[in-house]
Amino acid sequence: MRDDPSVIALVTRVCGGDHEAWNEIIDRYAPLVWAICNRYQLSRQDIDDAAQGVWVMLVEHISQLREPAALPGWIATTARNECLRMLRTASRYDLSGQPTEDLMPPDPDDRAVDEDLLEAELNISLRAAFAEFAELAPDCHKLLTMLITDPPPTYAEVSGALGMPVGSIGPTRSRCLSRLRRSPHLAAFLSGHAGAVQARKTGR
Amino acid sequence: MSTMGADLSDDELLAALKRAVAERNAVPPDFIEAAQAAFAWHNIDAELAQLTYDSLQDTESASATRAEAASIRALTFTSARLTIELEVAHDALVGQIVPAQPAAITVVPRTGAEVTVEADDIGCFSIEPIPLGQFRLRCQTAADVEALTGWITL
Repeated sequence: MRDDPSVIALVTRVCGGDHEAWNEIIDRYAPLVWAICNRYQLSRQDIDDAAQGVWVMLVEHISQLREPAALPGWIATTARNECLRMLRTASRYDLSGQPTEDLMPPDPDDRAVDEDLLEAELNISLRAAFAEFAELAPDCHKLLTMLITDPPPTYAEVSGALGMPVGSIGPTRSRCLSRLRRSPHLAAFLSGHAGAVQARKTGR
Repeated sequence: MSTMGADLSDDELLAALKRAVAERNAVPPDFIEAAQAAFAWHNIDAELAQLTYDSLQDTESASATRAEAASIRALTFTSARLTIELEVAHDALVGQIVPAQPAAITVVPRTGAEVTVEADDIGCFSIEPIPLGQFRLRCQTAADVEALTGWITL
């Protein structure tokens, strides 16, 4: 796992009692926890309980993290453990409310934690780079925001909404994506991390 | 190894951006708010009482990796100045604090209202009904020692 200096800085600030830094950690990693929890067939309430377990344990133990850079891995692993705990608690009682044999249910989630982490870090970096575009390159931010809506708009719709000639949408899109690719937020991924994610996705 | 910049086409980069933004947008706002609120547990004043005995620990290898949220029938929490012993009886959670002394024992659930019971002169207390879901116990002695257990699931 790469040693992201911004993660280390956030952990240090939280240890010092900085609530803003805590909120930033949540903003970064809540999507990871949400995605993991949603792979276990849990009710929304159980998901909330599992997630709360992750965050309470984190806030209590954050000053004891031996390697702050390992935070994403800690969060992903703890989220899985908490989800399994919810499944185990649910399976411990039969329909009459009587305890059943204390068996560990199999982990229905066969994705590797490493895979989660690579994708989460790429997503976090992409969101950070994109958020910066709102100020640094507002025209790119507007165009890309439209292009990633679902369902994808036609060029005619984009042209109408942004007052941009249809013929210049393609070149602008290309220029904006090049600029996104050069964002310092994505620098760590330019040397192979996301390449691994990509290779896995495309089976290369 | 070739770089992502060279490997990832415009279409692939746009698709990756779309996934990243969608992943964030899929998270309900109240899920974020609850996570932010967990910061309230930062630097609590009470002594933390660590789980030092768990009768089910050997049979639950998965929970053994979790220091404090084990599933148990009898367990012991120890802080610097207090030991809290718990046992799950038929319809109550009974316990004793050591050294024996009167104290207020509060059940602190993850969500919902707290409940406080009194420990008698020899430190014995009984919590009925047995708390459901995850909770921790806060123990406030007459001598003003405050201890907080790790999370418990029965």
